[in-house]
Amino acid sequence: MPARTLVIGNKAYSSWSLRGWLALKQTGLPFDEILIPLDRPESPAALARYSPSLRVPVLIDGDLRIWETIAIIEHLAELVPEAGLWPRDRTSRAHARAIAAEMHTGFAQLRRDLPMDLKRAPAPRAYPDPVAEEIRRVETIWAECRVAKPTGGPFLFGAFCGADAMFAPVATRLRSYAVPISAVSADYCDALFDHPPMRDWVAAGRAEPWIIEYPRP
Amino acid sequence: MADLTLVIGNKQFSSWSLRPWIALKQIGLPFREVLVRLRRPETKAEILNYSPSGKVPYLIDGALGIWDSLAILEYLNELKPEAELWPADRSARAVARAVSAEMHSGFAALRQHLGMDLKREPARGEWPSEAAADIERVQSIWAECRGRFGGHGPFLFGKFTAADAMYAPVVTRFHRYGVPLDPRLAAYRDAVLALPAMREWTEAAQREP
Repeated sequence: MPARTLVIGNKAYSSWSLRGWLALKQTGLPFDEILIPLDRPESPAALARYSPSLRVPVLIDGDLRIWETIAIIEHLAELVPEAGLWPRDRTSRAHARAIAAEMHTGFAQLRRDLPMDLKRAPAPRAYPDPVAEEIRRVETIWAECRVAKPTGGPFLFGAFCGADAMFAPVATRLRSYAVPISAVSADYCDALFDHPPMRDWVAAGRAEPWIIEYPRP
Repeated sequence: MADLTLVIGNKQFSSWSLRPWIALKQIGLPFREVLVRLRRPETKAEILNYSPSGKVPYLIDGALGIWDSLAILEYLNELKPEAELWPADRSARAVARAVSAEMHSGFAALRQHLGMDLKREPARGEWPSEAAADIERVQSIWAECRGRFGGHGPFLFGKFTAADAMYAPVVTRFHRYGVPLDPRLAAYRDAVLALPAMREWTEAAQREP
């Protein structure tokens, strides 16, 4: 039985869960998964059993419960340094953490108006200017990483790292809502969708029985 | 040797700036300070002079620029690991990062209704129930950290850590808005307020025009 368990929400909708799950996959550590369908009458009680903040994901590692995606990524990076969850080079690592932290605390409008929904057939949706500004900021962040031509892979710093885990749900939003993006951004999104753990998650999310109807903005 | 400059906003209001500033002071790394006055017509252009991300706080180390308080704290931890800006014990460290990340992305109502204002005379404020829920969550985080990890000192994890830096602005809010605290948590609040670096920041804030 694996020593670790990740508590997550529905794969179709829980963008934070996707981040923690991708990071854990990257370590290669075996783990059990507990999936709590969100937005249901019984969800809060089910979350309270595992999560002090009532949010997911939560990583259970022995006696330790770690909530907050950024904290989970840092913990995993320490447990399995060779997984490369942060870039080896100090400058790149600081940059990766800055954009990961910006994703962690920002982009509120984008997250509200274009929620992750892996069951949605890609189709445009109108969005207000602040969302367009946030999308421009995301594309600037990606371009600053990708135009530096990182070696070793198609991700923000070459090989897949914690910053890619943080931005993966944004790639699904851009695709689900058919947002027009630059060629550099499109290449990067393709790389994320081709990442084998990402394919597994997307397929599982689409196969889930639960539907959450978000209020339309 | 690191050559550090920290770009910050007004000390009276900029809670995000206080976090890396107090961490730098506590671990004893020398740094230059550049203060940009916020909420003025020229603010954006002034910040962009130093910080291409357009954000404060912003730490400059030679050719490297880092934005976001949490990323700056991680960088400082790497620059001076012996200062133990994160707790030495792995479990304590994971929890310290979790409570810091929760502060980083949460508590919107607390931040909106009890904004950091170091010129406010301490007096009981009023706040809506969403802010009360945030206050309760902060109290439960502090109680848990103090109870589980705080045995060897007055701070959340005993010694001063990055988690205390993250919550330092909340300490000033609880103080200035008269948020009632049980004696254990009041002792924690007072320990943070008594830090020489906290006093230095507060005095500078009160002298701002």
